[in-house]
Amino acid sequence: LGDPQNLKCVTHNLHKMLCTWDISSRGRHGQTEFCYTTNDLTPQVCFKTKERRIEIPIPESSITVTIKTSGTALATKEFVIHQKDISFVPVTPRILSLMPDFPTSTLNMKWSDNGSVFPYGLDALWQIQILRKEAIEVVTQVAYYSKLTHEDIILSWNWTSDMPLECTSHYVKIRCYINATQFVGPKDWSDWSPAEVIPGKDTEPGGSGVFPLDPVVAVGSNLTFCCVHEEDQRITNMTYGSKSYKMMQLSSRSHAIRVLNASVSNSSGTNVVCRLENGLEGSVVFVGYAPDIPQNLSCETPNFLIIKCTWKPGRPSGLYGERRTKYSLFERTSGKNVSCEVSEVNKDHVCDFPVLPDQKTYDFILGVSNPIGQAQTSLLVDITQRVHPKTPEKLTVTGNNSTSIQLRWFINGTFAGIRLLCQIEVTSSHSERKLHNVSVPGRKSSAYTARLNALHPDTTYQFRVRCSAADRFWRWSDWSRAVEQTTAEA
Amino acid sequence: MAAADSPSAALRRRDLCSRGIRLAGKMRADVVDLLDAYVEQQGLDASASVAAMEGVPLAAVERWDEQTGTQRLQENLAAYRAFRALLAQMLEEQREQLGEAEEGLGRALAAVLLQVSAFAYHLEELLRLESRGVPGEEGDAPPPPPRLSLFEQKLRGLGVLRELAQWAVRSVRDLRQLAKPSPAPGAAPGLAESP
Repeated sequence: LGDPQNLKCVTHNLHKMLCTWDISSRGRHGQTEFCYTTNDLTPQVCFKTKERRIEIPIPESSITVTIKTSGTALATKEFVIHQKDISFVPVTPRILSLMPDFPTSTLNMKWSDNGSVFPYGLDALWQIQILRKEAIEVVTQVAYYSKLTHEDIILSWNWTSDMPLECTSHYVKIRCYINATQFVGPKDWSDWSPAEVIPGKDTEPGGSGVFPLDPVVAVGSNLTFCCVHEEDQRITNMTYGSKSYKMMQLSSRSHAIRVLNASVSNSSGTNVVCRLENGLEGSVVFVGYAPDIPQNLSCETPNFLIIKCTWKPGRPSGLYGERRTKYSLFERTSGKNVSCEVSEVNKDHVCDFPVLPDQKTYDFILGVSNPIGQAQTSLLVDITQRVHPKTPEKLTVTGNNSTSIQLRWFINGTFAGIRLLCQIEVTSSHSERKLHNVSVPGRKSSAYTARLNALHPDTTYQFRVRCSAADRFWRWSDWSRAVEQTTAEA
Repeated sequence: MAAADSPSAALRRRDLCSRGIRLAGKMRADVVDLLDAYVEQQGLDASASVAAMEGVPLAAVERWDEQTGTQRLQENLAAYRAFRALLAQMLEEQREQLGEAEEGLGRALAAVLLQVSAFAYHLEELLRLESRGVPGEEGDAPPPPPRLSLFEQKLRGLGVLRELAQWAVRSVRDLRQLAKPSPAPGAAPGLAESP
């Protein structure tokens, strides 16, 4: 009668162990005397307790335990506990924080690894469970590894849900297993931590709507949309674009649909509509492409006042308005950044950057971004080697005799400091097209002149002019408008 | 009670009314076309039922027959001023959301906005003709709408265009009513009558 039995010892920290036991019969029990001794003849250590549990140090190898119970019957029982009989169960972890990031449907969890109670270098394995539906349905279970370092380290972990966090409440639990290889006894998982919850909109009064609300996603994405409605509202159907989808019930106030491999939406987006008995809820999703890396970036100056950069944008993003792809031109040397006004619809992509005082070489980075992604390309350019003058204007004849003509034209731009090479095209009805090259010193927004000799008297000629940089040619300007002149009679 | 119409005033009123009827008719045709384009471009369901929205004047009216001419004009004017603000808001949202894409729809929206503004001005003319003071706009300025989600913006746009099409029909009926010669005092309400 009243024999102590089922003595079990568990350690949570590899230093001490918690021993518990039962008393075989009901009856009235007074105090218990718990004595133990290790085998190296150290004196017996005894405790009196009314509990049936006691914490004592873990023995090197084994200990002999004597439990004497008093009360209606005196009973004494002896046990020998070997280290292999002691099981190691880590302390139940505690979640320090669970934070939602709704726009990205991401949960961030932080917890302490309680490393301070253990010696160095132990490998810890954590199991994290995400649950829904009143913490009953396990959505996923993830393994996370860490190393205990004899200090309490705050561990952090992110998880991105396949559905908006607003759709329904998400619960998180964690437990751990420590691989104490030197410990010979059985090792087990800790208990699960209490579940932490991020409430969904389906728990909020008036939280109805379709989620995610007005997202921008990449083509090919798999999407989950949910419709949160009032408890008494019956949901008729949910459509994505013009197609109706099979609904999954998340809770009494939340239904969801799953859209796979979303294709590019039209400019006003694809409507996700939730039809309820007495109304509509909806969201608009914009499905597009991340920007391509711009190709063929090229920069030149027409006038040494501005630098014009052009590029090929690659595949259209399919995004418009405030979601359109935006471009910016950053110049590393000066640190100057310019945002480019680029039309989504028409094809040429051009950006102007001011010529900076006393700077010839420009180290450009063209940055491109939209809500789905970003890209960039770079170009190092000496603008004195990239002169592409504007079309010469006001070409006029200023001198004329029977065999020669003087022409005058105007070019907008500041070309002081370089020489211009201009080419004059001469055509007439009875002679072949001739090209005359003339090199002139560049000037600031100025007129230029040239004289053509060896012309035929009384002959009607048409003249056009174009110019470029004389040293380090890059590109001709466009031809000026033609001017016609008849040489004087001989 | 105002004096019975002078012949020139009656003639001027009938002229304004008939021009107003033509304006409203054209506006209605353009609004219906715009509505079709809007539904398609916004990916909406043409049969979608849209709840009455705050700030969108309802064309339906009870005891239409009993309205005085002045009430008709004033209600019409208040409605088209509201539609002017609503369409301007839609145009702004269109530019914000679509930028240069779908410029066709933007132009059609701007064209209807112009017609609504012109019609509001026409109604003011009619009210001035009847020496009724034209109600100031300050009181009419709709409160800034709450920030709507994109789908709610689309639905509101649908509701605005549908209601505007209804108002154009009502305006034609109202103007036809106003165009009728004023009855002798004490008989059925005409323009001169006012409560």
